[in-house]
Amino acid sequence: MKNSIKKIFWLISLMFFLVIIWLGKINFIDREKFNVNPYNPRLQYTDTTIKRGNIKDINGEVIAESEYTENGYIRNYPRSRMAAHITGYSAVGKTGVEAAENFELETVDNEVLQRILNAFTGTEVKGNDVVLTVDMDIQSIAGDLLGEQKGAIVVMEPSTGRILAMQSYPDFNPNTILDDWDNLKSDEDSPLINRTTQGLYPPGSTFKMVTAIAAMEYLDDWETFTVECDGEAEFNDKVIHCYNNKAHGTVDMHDAMAQSCNCYFAEIGKRIGGENLRKVADRLFANSSIGFDMPSSQSSVVIDKSSSESELVETSIGQGKTVVTPMYMATLVSAVANGGIMKKPYIVDHIENYEGEVLKTTIPETIGEVMTYEEATALRDMMIDVVNEGTGTEASLKGYQAAGKTGTAENESGIDHSWFVGFAPAENPEVAVAVILENAEGNKKATPIAGKIMQAVLDSKW
Amino acid sequence: MFELVLLFSRYIFVFYIVFYLWQGVVYVAEEQGFYIGNPFYAVSIQRIIIIFFHITAYLILSYVPGEFRFDPLYLVTGAGGLLFIILALNITRKVYKKSCPLIWNSMIFLLDIGFVMLQRLEFELAEKQLVWMTFGTVIMLFIPLILKLIPRFEMFEKLYIILSYVLILSTLVFGNEEFGSVNWISIGSIGFQPSEIVKFLFIFYLASVFRKRVELKELIITGALSAGIVFLLVMQKDLGSCLIFFLTYMVMLYIATSNTILFFSGIGAASIASILAYKLFSHVRVRVAAWKNPWVDIEGGGYQIVQSLFAIGTWGLFGSGLTKGMPKSIPVVERDFIFSAICEEFGIIFAMGVVCIFILIFFRGIKIALRCTRRYYSLLAAGITTMFAFQSFIIIGGVIKLIPMTGVTLPFVSYGGSSVVISILMIGLLQWIESYYEIRSEGSETDI
Repeated sequence: MKNSIKKIFWLISLMFFLVIIWLGKINFIDREKFNVNPYNPRLQYTDTTIKRGNIKDINGEVIAESEYTENGYIRNYPRSRMAAHITGYSAVGKTGVEAAENFELETVDNEVLQRILNAFTGTEVKGNDVVLTVDMDIQSIAGDLLGEQKGAIVVMEPSTGRILAMQSYPDFNPNTILDDWDNLKSDEDSPLINRTTQGLYPPGSTFKMVTAIAAMEYLDDWETFTVECDGEAEFNDKVIHCYNNKAHGTVDMHDAMAQSCNCYFAEIGKRIGGENLRKVADRLFANSSIGFDMPSSQSSVVIDKSSSESELVETSIGQGKTVVTPMYMATLVSAVANGGIMKKPYIVDHIENYEGEVLKTTIPETIGEVMTYEEATALRDMMIDVVNEGTGTEASLKGYQAAGKTGTAENESGIDHSWFVGFAPAENPEVAVAVILENAEGNKKATPIAGKIMQAVLDSKW
Repeated sequence: MFELVLLFSRYIFVFYIVFYLWQGVVYVAEEQGFYIGNPFYAVSIQRIIIIFFHITAYLILSYVPGEFRFDPLYLVTGAGGLLFIILALNITRKVYKKSCPLIWNSMIFLLDIGFVMLQRLEFELAEKQLVWMTFGTVIMLFIPLILKLIPRFEMFEKLYIILSYVLILSTLVFGNEEFGSVNWISIGSIGFQPSEIVKFLFIFYLASVFRKRVELKELIITGALSAGIVFLLVMQKDLGSCLIFFLTYMVMLYIATSNTILFFSGIGAASIASILAYKLFSHVRVRVAAWKNPWVDIEGGGYQIVQSLFAIGTWGLFGSGLTKGMPKSIPVVERDFIFSAICEEFGIIFAMGVVCIFILIFFRGIKIALRCTRRYYSLLAAGITTMFAFQSFIIIGGVIKLIPMTGVTLPFVSYGGSSVVISILMIGLLQWIESYYEIRSEGSETDI
């Protein structure tokens, strides 16, 4: 009996030991994840006794700071609307970087020292500064180009996933958010929504990149396969039109990509089949998180074995039920630019303490090799043709070779959205963009904007 | 300045609990023959730490930031709590002569940690809790007297099990549903959980039956009767209590028979039963799903556990500082999830310390069980101790997502009248056994 009691003692001690180990695991391993989860109410936490850290762009320009007033600290945003969807706001709840990096902004480095100094000399207790990958020069160019056109622009560095700019319109003034709150909340255009990460749009012809990759994998004859395009093609229960019913003649994949021929891509989509197209889309992370640390909508490609032929051909040309975020499209086109390696997009470059010492730096992460190098190169060559001789000539650059894909997305409103995704220089990409203009009257409006942004980024490097 | 005090308090609280546990080590070491320090000082230091903890916590809680004053209401409750602690620390050891001081200190420390946390969460709950704590302790002081009047209380085995069934069945008839379980009964304005009282009776019953040589017949009867209770608790969706009863039964059976095969076949049978329960009851499936991956359903079934994990994980080793966290974002934080609130505001090290205090009580309880020469008392002590251990493991393991969450109270710490009173009474009984043997061993070495 005594022996049994001893055995039970050790058994239960082991259980308690497990509890202690598990608590340690939560603290040392899980903690990072908890601190950025948008459902964590502590992201909304504000310590009124400290001066919340600044948010700065990559060149050190302050885009959000705390100022002491008689009512305590209030947040000031020197660039106001221009960076509104990046900084977010910190007044009625928090959004944007204010929410995602709340924990850092509220963390006081060397807290004991700072608090003691504060108690005896009255110096401010300062939270850590967050330095972003965003370059306000590019952000401003993108903002000016977007103007008062509803839409979104994402500018990314393909080899790392760094976000260089992120514009979304309609926007808001984060300095006057409290006064404007009711109007902003009830505004039908949802100015508080960051369209780059939360906007879901049909991808239109930009989705042909995905269909093309699937074709390279599942159709042995993709290089020689041609379609006779007379402006429209009839499938089982669906007629597919090319833009303006334009007949492209006999086209192979290169021509079809350059001219954005719907008939061609609908035909190869049919040959690839729903199951295979879905497999490729899934592998390209179209249906799973790309891990960006701000509230994001999930892109989705809902096609499978059981889908009807009409759904299949529509999906192949980027219509149907497929929806994507501009952030996803920028990440995808960056993967093409990057030889098939998809990088996780990120916006925080590093964290600094109150004395400007760097506390931690974000290391770029790879999501995965989502297509082979050969596929990426072949696709890039087609996208060069789009810019040189196809639908995207307005994105051609001075002194650099750009590559890209245009898109015209039909939607419920009846007025098409205009897309452009691309990168430059084609041989050694330094910048990737995704531009969407909602209900842009007229085709290809996004293309010149994307071109100007890429030109500006590349010019600024020299 | 208050901010600075608050900042230091995070380290002070950790110091308190680590120093408290160290004094426990000093005491135990001396018993085992390794002298590190004077055990009597160690126990006194522990008492002082508890009082210091209480005073520190209440000064922080009652301070009104910005106004440079203390809230008198808080100070009054704080003083009430302090009075309780001082009286309980002194009277218990006088009434229970030669009982284990570590168990008393640990129980009172845990009661106070819970009390402070409740004060921080909900002023009124702390007041009520103080009443229950006092009530439980006062009744407990009568246990030695009662047991003197009824010396052979192992005779009433049938009564214990009949009463258990009556209480459990009564919840099925009169019970109110609360927090997803139908395990509450209201008499007037006071609600109580019969399953708490049944815990007491159940241990009495098993100890009484197993004190004799266990034959197949007893095995089947007790097995069936215990399974009945467990089944009724599943019906009331009180999965946590059902687990506690089952595990306590298995452990007491194992201690009484020392039969490893029986023990493992029992565990095997339970595994089959849990698979069946998983298939049959949707509320079991919901709990398991919320445990396996709460992140996929954060707004639904996973909400509680995810909120609990956020509270535990966000602030790190030293916590947010008392009053600085957001523990109220966790549903039922004052009851099932109080451990998460402790993690959040006192920090993970302090929370590990709380687990260690439970280990300390468990260790001392097992020691009492080992020294008993009468089978009945040994079983009783082992039953009480393991039941405490299981209950604290099940709820702490649940809120940290080590095991599926089943709602039970954390003994001494959670808010809840029946839980606090019964827990105190069980410790009283355990200590009575200890003091019974200590006093006898002084007189003569012979025992029945």
